[in-house]
Amino acid sequence: MYFIKKVFLFVLLSGLLYGAFAQVSPEIQLGARGVISFNTDISGSQKATSVNDFSDTGLLLGFRQKLYNRFRGQLVIGLQFPDADSDLGQVFFHQTFLRIEDQKNILKMGRSRVQSALIEFPTLRDDDALFLTDVLNPFSSGENTEDNQYGNVIEAAHVFAQRYWLRLHGEHFTKTPQQPATAETDFSLNAVGASFVYRVPETQIWNRPFIQQIGLGFNNFLTDRRGYSSHFDKTLKNILVSGIFNIKPDPIYFVDARFQVVYNLGFKEVKTVGSFYDLTRAAAAAHFFSLRFLYRKLERPTLQLALSGGFKVFPNLTNKTRQWQVIANAFYRLGENFDTVLQIQQTRFTGDLQALYGKTETRFQIGLVYSIDQRWNKQFEDRNSLLNLEHGYIP
Amino acid sequence: MKRRDFMQTSTVLTATAAFLPASLLSTKVMAANVQKFPAPLKPTLDGDVKVFHLFIDIHIQEIVPGFKIHTLAFNNQVPGPEIRVKRGDKVRVIFKNKTELNHTIHWHGMHVPWRMDGVPYVTQMPVMPGQEFVYEFTAEPQGTHFYHCHWGTLLHMQAGMYGSLIVEEDDDPIRKQFPYEREYTLLYSAHDVNFLREEMNSMLERMKERMYLMKTGRFNKERFAVFDTKEEFVQAVKNGYQPPYVVNRRAPAGLPVANWFTVNGKSYPMTPNLYIKSGENIRVRLINAGMEEHYLHLHGHDFWQVADDGLPVPQPWQRNTLRLSPGKTTDIIIEGKNRGIWTFHDHDTRRVTNNGLYPGGNLLALVYEDLPAKETELNMMAKKMGLKNLPIVALDE
Repeated sequence: MYFIKKVFLFVLLSGLLYGAFAQVSPEIQLGARGVISFNTDISGSQKATSVNDFSDTGLLLGFRQKLYNRFRGQLVIGLQFPDADSDLGQVFFHQTFLRIEDQKNILKMGRSRVQSALIEFPTLRDDDALFLTDVLNPFSSGENTEDNQYGNVIEAAHVFAQRYWLRLHGEHFTKTPQQPATAETDFSLNAVGASFVYRVPETQIWNRPFIQQIGLGFNNFLTDRRGYSSHFDKTLKNILVSGIFNIKPDPIYFVDARFQVVYNLGFKEVKTVGSFYDLTRAAAAAHFFSLRFLYRKLERPTLQLALSGGFKVFPNLTNKTRQWQVIANAFYRLGENFDTVLQIQQTRFTGDLQALYGKTETRFQIGLVYSIDQRWNKQFEDRNSLLNLEHGYIP
Repeated sequence: MKRRDFMQTSTVLTATAAFLPASLLSTKVMAANVQKFPAPLKPTLDGDVKVFHLFIDIHIQEIVPGFKIHTLAFNNQVPGPEIRVKRGDKVRVIFKNKTELNHTIHWHGMHVPWRMDGVPYVTQMPVMPGQEFVYEFTAEPQGTHFYHCHWGTLLHMQAGMYGSLIVEEDDDPIRKQFPYEREYTLLYSAHDVNFLREEMNSMLERMKERMYLMKTGRFNKERFAVFDTKEEFVQAVKNGYQPPYVVNRRAPAGLPVANWFTVNGKSYPMTPNLYIKSGENIRVRLINAGMEEHYLHLHGHDFWQVADDGLPVPQPWQRNTLRLSPGKTTDIIIEGKNRGIWTFHDHDTRRVTNNGLYPGGNLLALVYEDLPAKETELNMMAKKMGLKNLPIVALDE
């Protein structure tokens, strides 16, 4: 009898506790991207192959809910499989952040994609042309590309008139430990920046005029520049200018062009590039362009062809140094969100970079890409839904 | 607290969903209640033809305070305005589409010429964005009917595209048998607001693309998923055409599961009240413009069911619960024989909820205007709770 009483009390208390702490069910988001490619690299006369390159494959899990006011809260956790030689381990948690937002304001904190680029280019992987498409992390040894793409961020954005994005951001970029390793790891803010971007919402694609997006950004790294004491002089400054233009905004045969220039003001004392440390601090201008054709059969993407290319010049180096890169690819859709891809890229280095990375590298890739974005327990609309944009915003 | 007080309070707050009387009988509440029924649309006369103007546009509807949704609304109202004509009237409805979606109007229960029936690709082409279509018919038969969009019906109806169409008869057998002065129209609907939002956005996006193609003359049958014959459709599938329901073209999340239930576009506690006096008959026209069945139950009374699908039944019968299927209209007469405040609600109580929380949905009240003040006094519990004025709603179970 005593035992039965105890069981009853346990069940009763469990029920009461559940009632007291019942939770609102959040909207659950799942994003997944699988990128598997067979690579053949030719560097000079050497040839190397990789059967299974699955870097950039990743998983994103998100939870969102309405808050007590007009804001919404979100948690995102994401993991990626980095390059085998990245020193990041088998799995890299590239996204772990919280975000609150209303119609016009966004605040984001945590590990996420840093504002090292204003636009994305139509390449197989995000880092295929990283040296030309992103501001490079001066605190990294350059062992991996993730150091340049992800960091611990705090970002505040304000959206004017649905299309003008003003973003202020601060980051802790990953700092490669110096040998011998220090006892404590420093996670303080080591970069700040701002950007102003005009962007037509994706849902209004068929309203688009010629300009799809145009933006200006500033990134400033707070370095420990040797021989300088002023904080301003120690700052490594980068300026980004980007644009996306609809050459032919046609629903069946769509053509757009995009460009980005990353101008690194650099440090004047850097006259040679002998390491990634120098590379990130040398004055440089990286230009990258792409032309994309998209064939959409019966309202769904069917075939995408893209030609991208760019170059980087270093005006202050003693040796004339250049980097050139061309990437051509074709994506053919096998089913909803499932593509087969063929990509060819060639990179050429001259001057100081040739000693670091070789004269040329050619890479052939054939692969499959599968990406999904699913939501459950949907509860509210996105800021950029057509109803919210054109028929009155509902918080 | 004495057990009796507790029981009394509980009964008021839960079983009757706490419609407390004094506020319900205030002049302000009664005046506002009139606005909760569809407003009649005033016609103009073109000779002997009654001309009505309807337009459709996207509109934000507040179902209950604090909860708004985007709707498709005739003349910016959900439900649309009431069209009320006499049997035999010549009717012309000039319909203007102000949205970027396609629409038609189907005259549910009416004996219209077949080309006026509003079924896209069967009786007419859809009324495309910016277009106008003129419907003409003679009002026949008498009774309670309604109109609704017949394009993308699953979405467009629950998005708000419905309205009452009442055909009166001078020599109305129902009025003869049950003399009445006041009547009320109640349009029921059920909404999966998540489905609504997703599908409306999805349709708007598709239509923007299609409109772009239309302007350049490249919008063809396969893009529109419309074919001249079934054979042509079957052949197209054999040739590689993939219909919209095939997953690799567009995969909808699934069929809607309603989570909001409205009467005249509102959920409890914003639903309308039915006012009555002792000894009075009122006629209530019930229209199910939604996708769910309702089992409507009136407390404290047996009402007369007098019409079915608009047609007077030969022998009215008494009941206190009726089944209102989707597309159905039923007329009832309530006799004022039991003074009080009585709830009238779906007895499938899943539909007496707002987003899963009771009370809500299609709960409403039959209110006797001649209820003496003495019978509406505050009880001890209400006084202890600090209620100075009796509320009209209670949302906490």
